[in-house]
Amino acid sequence: MTNFIEYLLGGLGSGAIIALMALALVLTWRATRVVNFAQVGQAMFTTFIALSIQDLTGNWFLALAGAIVAGAALGVVVQYLVLRPVKRADTSGAIIATFGVLIALQAGAGMIWGGDQQAYPQPFNSAGISAFGREWPISVYDLVVIGVTLALVVGLSLVFTRTNLGLSMRATAFNPEVARLSGVRVSRTLTIGWAIAGIVGAVAGVLVAPISTLSPNSFDILLVFAFTAAVIGGLDSLVGAVALGVGTGLVISLVTGYSDSSNAPVVALVLLALNLLLKPDGVFGHTSSRSV
Amino acid sequence: MTNLMRLPGARLVLHAVIVVVLYLALMWFVGGADPLTMSNIALAAMYATAMFGMVILVGLSGQVSLGNGALMAIGAYTLALTSLNWQTVPIIGVPMNGWWAMVFALIGGIVFGLIIGGLGARLKGPYLAGLTLGIAVGIPAIANRFPDLFGGETGLLLTVPFPEGGYEPAVDEGAETGTEAVTDGTTEGTTDEALPTEGEGAGETLAPDDLLTIDDLSGDGTASELPTEGEGAGETLAPDDLLTIDDLNADGTSTDAPTDVATDVPTDVSTDVPVPDVPVDTLPPSTDQADPGFLIEYWQASLAILVACLVGFVALNLVRGRQGSVWRAVRDDPVAAAVSGISPAWSKVSAFMISSVFAALAGGVFAQLLAYVGPGAFPLGLSLSLLVGVVLGGRSSLVGAIIGAVIIVWLPELVRSAAEGRGWDEQVTNNMPNLLYGLLVVLVVLIAPGGIVGSIKSLSAKVTKRAGSPG
Repeated sequence: MTNFIEYLLGGLGSGAIIALMALALVLTWRATRVVNFAQVGQAMFTTFIALSIQDLTGNWFLALAGAIVAGAALGVVVQYLVLRPVKRADTSGAIIATFGVLIALQAGAGMIWGGDQQAYPQPFNSAGISAFGREWPISVYDLVVIGVTLALVVGLSLVFTRTNLGLSMRATAFNPEVARLSGVRVSRTLTIGWAIAGIVGAVAGVLVAPISTLSPNSFDILLVFAFTAAVIGGLDSLVGAVALGVGTGLVISLVTGYSDSSNAPVVALVLLALNLLLKPDGVFGHTSSRSV
Repeated sequence: MTNLMRLPGARLVLHAVIVVVLYLALMWFVGGADPLTMSNIALAAMYATAMFGMVILVGLSGQVSLGNGALMAIGAYTLALTSLNWQTVPIIGVPMNGWWAMVFALIGGIVFGLIIGGLGARLKGPYLAGLTLGIAVGIPAIANRFPDLFGGETGLLLTVPFPEGGYEPAVDEGAETGTEAVTDGTTEGTTDEALPTEGEGAGETLAPDDLLTIDDLSGDGTASELPTEGEGAGETLAPDDLLTIDDLNADGTSTDAPTDVATDVPTDVSTDVPVPDVPVDTLPPSTDQADPGFLIEYWQASLAILVACLVGFVALNLVRGRQGSVWRAVRDDPVAAAVSGISPAWSKVSAFMISSVFAALAGGVFAQLLAYVGPGAFPLGLSLSLLVGVVLGGRSSLVGAIIGAVIIVWLPELVRSAAEGRGWDEQVTNNMPNLLYGLLVVLVVLIAPGGIVGSIKSLSAKVTKRAGSPG
């Protein structure tokens, strides 16, 4: 039983990161009905930019700020240059295009920074916290990750529910045509949605890099986990993405703890397949009943 | 001609003629080629085999799948496991050989195609892409999970061509040729070939006894630098390359094959092989081993071309026949297709199964080209490269698949030769092909969704229209 609790605690940090990446996927899906498979590529690229800033200045927070700016910019560029011009009739086109972006970003990063695994510095203590006479499998860094995730989720919820921008984003997600007739500048709203997703992904990248090391391909597995979480969460639901992201992290931690880390992708795959079979709209998703 | 085509079976005959002519032309060309070209043609034929399935799945049926690299792994592992573990074919009882192993790869493709296709038929666009993405990452992880059965990270080593009378227990063979082969393998590997990767198997083409022995390869297999533990399958990807084609070209097909060959066999013998005398439609039996004219690259090319042509013949009949219309109808409007009496679900599952069978057969060929099966040979990048090739060549065209396969195999070579002249950094050269693939895919989707073949078609249509219209 103590093992069980330890594994659960150990999974919280990685779960929060999966939640962030799932959140980014959900944001682009809500904005443009596109699952952005390039999201981890964008996050990887901005994390490399952050690492370069880190190497130059030695300031972790400055690097994070750089990643956030780069993430927003990259999100805008990808949406504006690639996704917007894809022809509506070409349903496979958007998916294929995001994979094209992913391939290009990974190759570009390999070209600039090389293909080797690089260490990303730990800004906070990553050793387990000692309290109540024993060491717990959760570190200050994990707590920071969880705190940042919570702050982003709360901030995004406030934006979505309390601001004009959030209202127009929800209106655009609900029905672009009606939103446009009501005076919402739809295409600008979509681009802003991608920028926010880019920021969330960039933060996730910088947070996961110290744990997983950084290379052009090192976030691929994160894409699988985040996609699993986002889909089981319903793809439309911010709360669902976060809840299932943390849940996926916990499950993976349990699987890794009780058996072997090589089982994690297989378990994610099984979860995803079961979910798609039994409840294709996700746990938090709205059943896509067609309104008249 | 139109009247002739109305005869029953005329289409079948026409397709057969097309494929046979293509086969003979390719074999004639391969007969005069150097070993490096032979290996590249073998690779391209293998890619084309898998891409024919992608044309049916992505182009005709409209399902974007990233799982076909994993399905190739299933074919390859099925071939390896059945041929390593079975002396005779079960039930029938005849001795196991390479063709029976390919049949088992085919059966593996059918089974897994039905399972994954059955799961996927319910899913739309991004859901299917995500599920198959998970499969592409998860299936190599399964190989790592059960190292006793699948050989783990090291993988399984094959003897090619398939030894007559099946595989002996590995220990006996090691006792015979062990030391000699190992030293031979390591010296070649360190001096001649810069990048040791999983693909190196095929590069060490001519061992002293003309056969790739298990020991010959074990050095390379274990030397793969992929971490076994850590975050999971994401890290089993080769760190440098998204698409491991680079590796395969540099190592698998042995860029410096002629010099390698020269150490074992006189050069003139190996390049001026009297190839037309070798029976091309059968696997060279092990009696050919003593024949100094036996060239492993030629054998690889003839195997890959034969399989590609057989698969291409089936694909041609499906695409241009009734089933092709069914797939297109469901892709364009599932409701209208259902009203016309077509089952959209079965249409999608059948497309998945067919593409899975093609992928599994390609995987079986791939295993024999590499003389090796391991998780490192089937990374996510392999699935992506299949998608890239098909999109560039033309999503719904079999000719496009062939063009795509050629691009995937030769673009890295072109980049490498361009880099040599300009003194590019190695880091830039290695990543340039993937950068081009990614950018080209985006450009094709935006500007010419039909790919190369689609563009040529629409261009020629425009030209004829203009020529035909008065004034």
